[in-house]
Amino acid sequence: MTISRVSDAQSFALLVSRTGQLQASLQTLEQQIASGKRIFSPDDDPLAAAASTRAQSALAALAQYGSGSRFGTDVLGAQDKALDEGEQILVRAEEIATQQASSLLSPGERAAAREEVHGLLEALTAIGNTELGGRRVFAGLAADSTAAPFAAVPEDVSAYDPATAYSGSTQEFFVKVGGSADDRVRITTRGDTVFGGALAALKDLWTALDTNGGAGGTLAELGTARDALATERASVGARQSELIARTSQVKSLTVEQQKALSEAQDSDLVAVIARLTETQTALQAALTAGAEIARTSLVDLLKL
Amino acid sequence: MAISSLLGIAQRALLANETALGVVGNNIANVNTPGYTREVPDLESDPSIVSPQGVLIGTGVHVAAVRQVIDPLLEKRLLGAETSRREQGALRDQLSALAGALNELDQPSLGDSVNGFFDAADALARNPSGTAERETLLGRARALADELQRRSGVVATLQRGADDAYVAATTRANDALAQIADLNRAITAAEAGGQRANDLRDRRRTAVADLAGVVGVQTVETADGALTVSAANGAVLVDGGGVVHQLAVRKQVVGLDGQALHEAGLADASGNFIAVPGTFAHGELAALARVRDSDLVGASGQLDGFASAIITEVNRVQTNGGAGAVDLDGGSTAAVPLFGGTDAKTITVLLTGADAGRRIGAALSAEPGDNQNALALADLRTTALGALGATTFSGFLAGLTGQVGESAAQARDGAQAAEALQQQLHNQRESFSGVNLNEELTNLLRYQRAFQASAEAINVGNQVLDELMQLVR
Repeated sequence: MTISRVSDAQSFALLVSRTGQLQASLQTLEQQIASGKRIFSPDDDPLAAAASTRAQSALAALAQYGSGSRFGTDVLGAQDKALDEGEQILVRAEEIATQQASSLLSPGERAAAREEVHGLLEALTAIGNTELGGRRVFAGLAADSTAAPFAAVPEDVSAYDPATAYSGSTQEFFVKVGGSADDRVRITTRGDTVFGGALAALKDLWTALDTNGGAGGTLAELGTARDALATERASVGARQSELIARTSQVKSLTVEQQKALSEAQDSDLVAVIARLTETQTALQAALTAGAEIARTSLVDLLKL
Repeated sequence: MAISSLLGIAQRALLANETALGVVGNNIANVNTPGYTREVPDLESDPSIVSPQGVLIGTGVHVAAVRQVIDPLLEKRLLGAETSRREQGALRDQLSALAGALNELDQPSLGDSVNGFFDAADALARNPSGTAERETLLGRARALADELQRRSGVVATLQRGADDAYVAATTRANDALAQIADLNRAITAAEAGGQRANDLRDRRRTAVADLAGVVGVQTVETADGALTVSAANGAVLVDGGGVVHQLAVRKQVVGLDGQALHEAGLADASGNFIAVPGTFAHGELAALARVRDSDLVGASGQLDGFASAIITEVNRVQTNGGAGAVDLDGGSTAAVPLFGGTDAKTITVLLTGADAGRRIGAALSAEPGDNQNALALADLRTTALGALGATTFSGFLAGLTGQVGESAAQARDGAQAAEALQQQLHNQRESFSGVNLNEELTNLLRYQRAFQASAEAINVGNQVLDELMQLVR
């Protein structure tokens, strides 16, 4: 359509609608710059809005997987330290058993050794009762408000029964480290399976020392118990490194999701600022042209 | 004879130019009147007469008619464009309000509430006996329920708003019908003498455009100048000076807020409702009905489905499928669901009171530190659910926000296109029928000069007569 004739109402309406459009664009652009966001409502870009919703939720889930992995790493770290100490105790017990295997020692020295073994039993019990943040790491992470999992060693060790010393949780604790129901890592082992053998071996050593039996006969048992602790430590280490790998995986996935989120909703500042300048110029031009509309009227030129 | 005829000619010319000046003045006065159609004086020379010398001489000028510069075909197209513009505009307004109500980009969003709830479930799985974790989970559950209720309420309010606008639109249509009928009568009366009632026609055109925006109409002008207006399916609304059928509304289905929604139909002469399904398929009325009965009901259904899935799944885990999980005090949760209600409107958290947190079934055994059921609850975050079309909760929300965004974007584009078309036609109309001040000022000069010249002719005639009188003396 060629317009050969323009009404005054039309030229003013055009000015109004054109400057209105430009001002609306300016406002949107300013909003995009101020917020750093490209979309404000789903209808601005439906696909990006959906992608942004998905990315937000994926990020929330990843943050939890990260927390799970870190928590697991902490618990396993505490276990590793406890197991190391447990091993040291058994090493000391083996030394005592080896020394006491010789019959050249005096009864006083035997009694002292027996007292030391008593102390080792108490120390190992304390290790079995290790807490991390108020939770028992060898009793299914039960809160410390529940009774200690390992019963205290009595003064008279002969009344101590290692087989019934553990009364803690039989439930092992898993942390969730991924989206699937299979993405779980066990971070506890029941105290009785870890320390049961060691406690029994220490008790046997104590009995041997108490009854003047052959302390050397307990060496094999102590060795087996120490191996059991070492094996558990290796398993703890393996799971720890799995969790560390998970943590770094979560980190890289988080970066990817943040990138996706940014692509979906963040504004490209350079482009937006360029467009802002462009729109400002256009608005200025439109206003200047608008001012000319009034000036080109015959009214100004006629002296009626 | 010739001299008196000069005076006569000059006098008629004065009158004609005065009229023409009046027409120009009226155009200038109405330069900004919406819907005004510019007028031009149709000048016509008076019939010639035979002079005493036996030649035909002219006798002057008169204004035969004051004619509107109008293109009837363009006016009809404008009417159609107006219907489409208002229809698309109403769609855009309503659907963008819906997109705003389900906006997942704003804080707080529904997705945030869902994420918050499952974050709390994850935290509980890490510390199943923590009372703080339990209270947090309950708090997040309440926030999620509140957020769902709020969204559901907003959608219901939007529907009520659309219905109110629907009823108001029928009232506006009836006002326009009455106005058109009144103007029909006035135009018929005014034009009985053969002159066109231009201002009345302009006003009628505006009223018809109002009506067309609401329902979409067809018009036929009869010989007496009256306009017969009928609905899209042919039902006559205005015939001559009377309204044949008014629009009427009756309460029909129940809306999302439990109150009745309205259906538009026609009223017969005694005011009885006549149902006319499919009659109002265009214009604002059709757009409002579509959003109210389809888009909003659909969105509300999606929200209800989502809430129902939350209630069902969370309760299934909390009660361990009815077999009972174990709460913090060792009690069974078989009959202790977390959520109550059935949909987004009614969802609530049933666990209340001082020790409500302890009733959450995080364990499956009485063993201290058992977190198995809390893990199962946390797993729900990424479980694809059949009830949600095999998507996860967040996937469903992403789909919903994308869907309402897409409808709103489509409506916005449709509205832009309709507006552009209407604007283009309006420009054509303005270009043809609008007032240009420069042009009018030129005409003003032209008729003013002609008026001055005619006055001069009277002067000349007067002088000639004077001289004749001198001869007689």
